[in-house]
Amino acid sequence: MSQRRRTTLVAASATLLAALPLSSVFATWAWFVDAVIMVAVITGIALGVRSLRTAAWVPTAATMLGLLFVLTVLFRSGHELLWLIPTPGTVGHFHSLLVNAGADMRELGVPVPDREGLLFLSTLGVGVVAIVVDLMTLVLRRPALAGLPMLAIYSVPVAVREDSVSFLPFAAGAAGYLWLLATDNVDRIRRFGRRFTGDGRDLGAWEPSPLAAAGRRLALAGVAVAVVLPMAVPGSNGGLLARFGPTAGDGTGDGLGRGGNGASVDLYAALSGQLNSNRTFDMVKVQTTDPTPYYLRFGVADDVTTAGFRSRRPAGSQPATGGLPAPAQEAGVTLRTYHAQVQIVSLNMNSLPVYLQPTRTGKLDSAWFYDRTDQLIYSRRDNSRNKKYDFDYVRAEFSPDALRTARPLEPDNPIQRQYTAVPPVGEVEKTVASITAGKRTPYDKVLAIHSYFSADNGFRYSLETKGGTSGSAIVDFLTNKQGFCEQYSAAMAWLVRAAGIPARVAFGFSRGSNQSGNTWTLTNRNLHAWTEVYFDRFGWVPFDPTPSAFVDGAPSAWAPDPSAPQNAPDTTAPRNDLPIPGGPDRSGAAAASGGPREDRAVDNGAGVPAAPADPWPVWSVLVAVLAVALLLTPAGWRALRRRRRRPGRRLTVPPPTVLGATVVSDDAAADLARRDAHDAWDELVDTMIDYRFPVDLASTPRVIAEHLIVSAALDEWATTGARLLGQAEERARYARQPLRSDDLAGSLRAVRDAISHRVSWRTRLRAVFLPASVLSRWHAAVNEALTRVAESMVRQRERWVRSLSPRRLLPGRRG
Amino acid sequence: MTTQRTQDELGRPMPPPEFRAVTEAIVANIERVIEGKTATVRLALAVMLAEGHLLIEDVPGVGKTKLAKALARSIDCSVRRIQFTPDLLPSDVTGVSVFNQEERDFEFKPGAVFANIVVGDEINRASPKTQSALLECMEERQVTVDGVTYPLQTPFMVVATQNPIEMEGTYPLPEAQRDRFTARIAMGYPDAGAELAMLDGHGAADPVLDLLPVSDAGTVRRLIATVREVHAADAVRQYAVNLVNATRESPELRLGASPRATLQLLRTGRAVAALEGRDYVLPDDLQSLAVPVLAHRIIPTAESQLSRRTTDAIVADIVRRLPVPADRQRSPYGTGTQYGTGRR
Repeated sequence: MSQRRRTTLVAASATLLAALPLSSVFATWAWFVDAVIMVAVITGIALGVRSLRTAAWVPTAATMLGLLFVLTVLFRSGHELLWLIPTPGTVGHFHSLLVNAGADMRELGVPVPDREGLLFLSTLGVGVVAIVVDLMTLVLRRPALAGLPMLAIYSVPVAVREDSVSFLPFAAGAAGYLWLLATDNVDRIRRFGRRFTGDGRDLGAWEPSPLAAAGRRLALAGVAVAVVLPMAVPGSNGGLLARFGPTAGDGTGDGLGRGGNGASVDLYAALSGQLNSNRTFDMVKVQTTDPTPYYLRFGVADDVTTAGFRSRRPAGSQPATGGLPAPAQEAGVTLRTYHAQVQIVSLNMNSLPVYLQPTRTGKLDSAWFYDRTDQLIYSRRDNSRNKKYDFDYVRAEFSPDALRTARPLEPDNPIQRQYTAVPPVGEVEKTVASITAGKRTPYDKVLAIHSYFSADNGFRYSLETKGGTSGSAIVDFLTNKQGFCEQYSAAMAWLVRAAGIPARVAFGFSRGSNQSGNTWTLTNRNLHAWTEVYFDRFGWVPFDPTPSAFVDGAPSAWAPDPSAPQNAPDTTAPRNDLPIPGGPDRSGAAAASGGPREDRAVDNGAGVPAAPADPWPVWSVLVAVLAVALLLTPAGWRALRRRRRRPGRRLTVPPPTVLGATVVSDDAAADLARRDAHDAWDELVDTMIDYRFPVDLASTPRVIAEHLIVSAALDEWATTGARLLGQAEERARYARQPLRSDDLAGSLRAVRDAISHRVSWRTRLRAVFLPASVLSRWHAAVNEALTRVAESMVRQRERWVRSLSPRRLLPGRRG
Repeated sequence: MTTQRTQDELGRPMPPPEFRAVTEAIVANIERVIEGKTATVRLALAVMLAEGHLLIEDVPGVGKTKLAKALARSIDCSVRRIQFTPDLLPSDVTGVSVFNQEERDFEFKPGAVFANIVVGDEINRASPKTQSALLECMEERQVTVDGVTYPLQTPFMVVATQNPIEMEGTYPLPEAQRDRFTARIAMGYPDAGAELAMLDGHGAADPVLDLLPVSDAGTVRRLIATVREVHAADAVRQYAVNLVNATRESPELRLGASPRATLQLLRTGRAVAALEGRDYVLPDDLQSLAVPVLAHRIIPTAESQLSRRTTDAIVADIVRRLPVPADRQRSPYGTGTQYGTGRR
């Protein structure tokens, strides 16, 4: 019992150790306090209840109650009885906590602050894992399985953080798991007998056994390999675009709002998270005097490292409350001033979405500043939640001809230096060189790169990104040509930079399609990323390489949608007045918006490829067909065998003719009868195996038949049948003259019917779909093949060893 | 064991009905004396038809001698009885050359073995020296005395009784002689009903004395010829070989059964099949015979003796485990003896 108690404690400690990786998700250690309380209470309850020697399920049930109580106490809603007894109000509170946690997961980047919902979730998770580990270790006595829930905890930070998780928490979790395994094994060995050193001396309870040294070394080597190997493998900790994938997260956490009040939003994580969300919800309502507004913008990623594009902290101390610098008037640029009112419905950022280029803001307090470089309105203290504000802005329309006049920047220009820095990737440089070959002005180069991402060139919009093997995410994207706005915008920025032109990635909302009057409602599906390129004299000019058909994009004269028909860049404008449903279409949304979608496809004509046909119905049908076929294979095999064995099937041999032309000798007839009897008997034996009746190979047919009669309690008819089958087989095997009977098939049927009525429906089902006779044959065949392979390998190896052995060369020895 | 006689000397095989009638008559006759032991009686008869010798081993008083005598009396042939005692000499068994005063020559006086059925009572009370005298006659059906070989009559059968070797005043039989006995059977105590019937029947006089022969030596020879005709399929022969081989390979046994045992096993199997009215041997026959035919020939290891494993149990285990060969290739289930879990 004391050993059992010890194992319980070890299981609890192992759970806590395994939970340590969560520390890289949370900003503080408050979660750990909750987790310790939870695990301590659960362990205490388990110990206490077990000491009462109750039934095996009672401690588990009690720990579940304990879990509920701890959650109730730690996350009080105020509705509890005596602070302890949960009420329906508590359950509602829990539900709202979970909903909040879900929202936080979508919106926050790691490390997350101590939000109550997230703490609730982590405490609940740790508690459940503690219970499961306890169950596996103490009740089921399968501590190896306890590794699965521990792994589940570990997978949380791995999934959330795109960069590699520090190896320390992993090592801690692994150590906990190994500790648990070792404790259980020591326990098992001690129950078996004394532990000893191998040279006769007994071991103390805590002394490590020298006999287990190999196991310890193996465990240590395993952990070491798991830690060291990923460091040595190139590309496994993510290149540029890895962080743009659907599960991407800004691991470093220095998103826009590190300086804010803790609520940082990782732009990439938010973007992919929202685009992949099952739910569509309004985020921002904008009222603008501009009839065809461009993109609402709230973030910039301009710092590119090998780890990818990332946002920098906005800088600049110009208060956003007053007037803001207006863009300079250049030839070929049309400037129009508009006014916009924004109401944030659900967006929690430390910057405010605005149209470019804001010149004056209203209803904002002094917490908000303007970053001239990034053209962002940001705050270090406040956030955008439920903000309402308005601003004037100047919208610039660039004419291609004017942009063409822009010259390349001087190499020592700070903008040129800062925004063209890009890690060298050979493939990318080659691609850029081939795209921009023959283009002289920066604008032409950018335009060429922009058109490079067209559907004609094979690029395909999809929220599912494909991984690659090149080790570099940008090369993967350029190879696979499948992605969404994150990939498009970042790749274009990268290529433009590689061409020596300053570029950055901007975040915000596409124009959307939900318009009523001059009010635009933007949902999470309208979240978008695009590329901005810097031109001398003109400043930052937006280019959107993402096919506008998928993101309700706004076309521009200087950057026509590369996937739209080339000859009609201007006609795309009216198209956007169509009621296009919001957001990138996914399989779920497609059904709801089938009508308009088709309109759009027709409208786009041949130039724009229709949305890639959703392949999942085809796949799922295929998989289902395959699964059904797989399920039916053993049954079909069995039916085939049964058919082949039907007695009397061979009666089609030519009948003996009196004329003596073909005389069927007695031997032939006897052979026939013999084979019929054998077939019938084989079928009976297989049927017995299928229906899980024991068949003893050391028994004679007579004995097997008698056993069957007794164990299946056959009725009189079936008894006669079984005896007949047994006698027929017996005579066929051992007598000079086999038994000739036309009734074998009938007997077989009678016996099978009788047997199948005796067994449970589950056995019957299994006999049809997973007949043991067929499966065991296959199993035996596979085993035999494997044995043969293994034997031949051993032979080969021996031959090798012999041919390589230097002993062969020694005098007096023959190879 | 040498064959007793050629086909001609044995006579024609019998048609099945006649065979059945004769054997049933013999069994019924013996059962008038030994109540409730049909299986033992039939086995004894089977051993006789298999041209073998029978060893009846059991505790005193269960009817060993009675069975031997009843079997002998049921057949009208020469029957001799030897009471084995510790001072019995080999010459008492085989015969001795004595000097004939009238003819001034040595004359051979045949011993007790010169008969169709020899009942050796309490065989293990004689010394091994005397036992050895039986070796030649039992195996070769002849007696050699003073360089002259005398053949024995046919049918020739030794029916011996013995007490278990734990009993006082007994010698264990030499292996060579044990091996010459085709089968060892135990009588066992009669059940209550049979014992009651015995009280009624045996109250007045010994019923063995009233027993009349129902057959004769010639008939028995024909019965033997019939048994020889019984078909033993290849699979059955293989099974016999496998069974005997298994005893040689069993880790529980120091000495397995001899090739002679294989021969006698199959021969007795034929006799049992014929007694059951079949003209072919079944593995079932061999299974039922394995313990009587094999168990007395084998010697368990010291470990199995210490763990009180009887040879009967060891042989029964082997039978239970050994797969029955069929005369065709069908073993897709590997070599395991048991498949299917029995779970329903």
